Amino acid sequence: MSEACKIAVERRGDVAIFWTDGYINNQGGEEIARQAYSQLDSGARALVMNLEKTRIVNSIGISILIEVLEKVMDRKGALAFCNLTPTIDKTFRIMGLAQYAAIYPTQEEALRAVAPAG
Amino acid sequence: MTASRLDSAGSLTAETWKTLADSLRRYADRPVVERLVEVALSWTAARRVVLFVKEREGWVAAAAAGDASGGPLSLPEPVPERSLASGGVIWLPLSSEGEIHGFLGIEGVAPGEADDLGISLGSLFGAQAGAYRFSRLVKEAEFEVKTRLLELESLYDLGLSLSGQLEISSLADEVLFRSISLTDAGKGTLVLFHEDGRILSERNLGGEFLPVAQVREWKLPEGEVVVNNAAASVPTAGMKLLSCEKCLAVAISVGGRRLGVLAVADKESRDGGVLDFTNADARLLSLFANQAGAAIETARLHREAIEKERIERELELAAAIQREILPRALPVVPGLELAAANLPTRQVGGDYYDVLSLSQGRVGFLVADVSGKGVPAALLVSTVHAAVHLQVDEASSIADLVGRIDRHLRRYAATRKFLTFFFGVLEPESGKLRYVSAGHNPAILLRRSGSIERVESTGVPLGLLPDAAWREQSLQLDPGDLLALYTDGVTEAVDEADEEFGWSRLCEAVEEGRERPVRELCDAIMGKVADFAAGMPQYDDQTLLLLRRT
Repeated sequence: MSEACKIAVERRGDVAIFWTDGYINNQGGEEIARQAYSQLDSGARALVMNLEKTRIVNSIGISILIEVLEKVMDRKGALAFCNLTPTIDKTFRIMGLAQYAAIYPTQEEALRAVAPAG
Repeated sequence: MTASRLDSAGSLTAETWKTLADSLRRYADRPVVERLVEVALSWTAARRVVLFVKEREGWVAAAAAGDASGGPLSLPEPVPERSLASGGVIWLPLSSEGEIHGFLGIEGVAPGEADDLGISLGSLFGAQAGAYRFSRLVKEAEFEVKTRLLELESLYDLGLSLSGQLEISSLADEVLFRSISLTDAGKGTLVLFHEDGRILSERNLGGEFLPVAQVREWKLPEGEVVVNNAAASVPTAGMKLLSCEKCLAVAISVGGRRLGVLAVADKESRDGGVLDFTNADARLLSLFANQAGAAIETARLHREAIEKERIERELELAAAIQREILPRALPVVPGLELAAANLPTRQVGGDYYDVLSLSQGRVGFLVADVSGKGVPAALLVSTVHAAVHLQVDEASSIADLVGRIDRHLRRYAATRKFLTFFFGVLEPESGKLRYVSAGHNPAILLRRSGSIERVESTGVPLGLLPDAAWREQSLQLDPGDLLALYTDGVTEAVDEADEEFGWSRLCEAVEEGRERPVRELCDAIMGKVADFAAGMPQYDDQTLLLLRRT
């Protein structure tokens, strides 16, 4: 795992998919938040975060993800996580992220879930 | 405007309340702090409004609206206790229940309106700012509680996970990642040692800060976590760390044995700074180190058990090979009494004996001892066995046979080993014995008269020298004469005092039973060797082959 968290983003319609690679700490979280806000400001309705290449998240990273979630909820959007390690999955559930953001095993399932109804 | 907001008693008019309430409703879908600045902006027609809210670490700009081209607004210090016009900005304390929860900075309105705005916005927004602030504090408290819960769950999960984790690298990752994440460290290192001090595993995240080559010598107190919040300038446990400001380190030990070191560095803060590690962090790291120690020890014991099992399987295989090769029964040859015994040790070696019925009533017999033990030795015995049986009818003489076997071994044997080899051919009717002893122990020839002769080696062991040659010797076996062939496991059997059974005791044992049938004699000799060893573990197979001409 690389030292600094790398973020890749792809926009598909009004859904932005994020791929993280590395430690979601203060630096990683801030970078996710910066790109998430940029996507929301440019009209993204839903964010899907694929954490397949992230094996470690600290409490600061989690608090930043919660801020992103709050921002998404303020805008009546949706946030979904996918491909979490069992440890991160449990961490998100304990820390309350899973209360408002859905967690899916795969990216396909997350994308299907955030797609507009109909 | 001023007159319309307040009644004659200086309180907000009903109209003012209604207008404010309508404005708040208009921005109902916005977060609280954004709603407040938007309402204040539209209601005061100011150029810009900014809201500061009291957070745990101090006053923080929570929201702003309007024209920000004039650059960021800074809250005056010390913060005002009542409305204050300063530098073109009116600062309004937002208070409720006697406590200031926030400040609205309103830019671009007349300074004379400060009191009026203070009464109207300060009282209405004070409650909102207070509620917002307390909701933030509740959230933070909830976050703290959840973080503590996460720590407990992590300790539990780590225990479960490590108890089933036998791969050292996975185990090290699990411990290191949890240690870093739960202490909010920016980096961490886990170094594990072999018993002899060599590095077994080294895992890093966030960049190296421990000089790993020196970690073994690190003076870390056993069972204590070293908290060094000045690591950038002060050596930690006597060792200078690289590129870190603060660190937390603990030895991983089991039963006083140092298995490794777990260290994390540079606890992160939300604003990008580095915080001091706390006692709670130290306690957590210590618990992780304890769990890691137990898990690493378990993994080590498991590896040893697997290795032991592998050796056991190899020995079983070697024993099976040997069992297949040794003759199940000796041929019955008129005029000859034959008996043999083979006692494999726990470390199966490479003893081999055989008796072959040859043409014209002749009997071939051999005893061989391969250097080394285990499967390689057993495979070489197997090769020799095949070579003997393939070549015995082709060879023109015993020396030729031995030479063929030697060449066969050089060409086909998978391992570079050698063996001592005695091969004899007896004509039972005449008693003429021809033999080659390739480096084998001297055989014992017990004459009917009771005298003993040594039958010495006639050349070097097989597989040792490329151009070796073996002399073929002959001797006469008269009725009653007995030839005893053996491997060095018999003469080198040791007792408690590490004394060997030796040639003399073997000769005595052979001589003592010379009147007995060779089967009984064979058992008696092996019994004497066993009595001598008195249960001491033996390191070499014991093989004995007896022939008596009747």
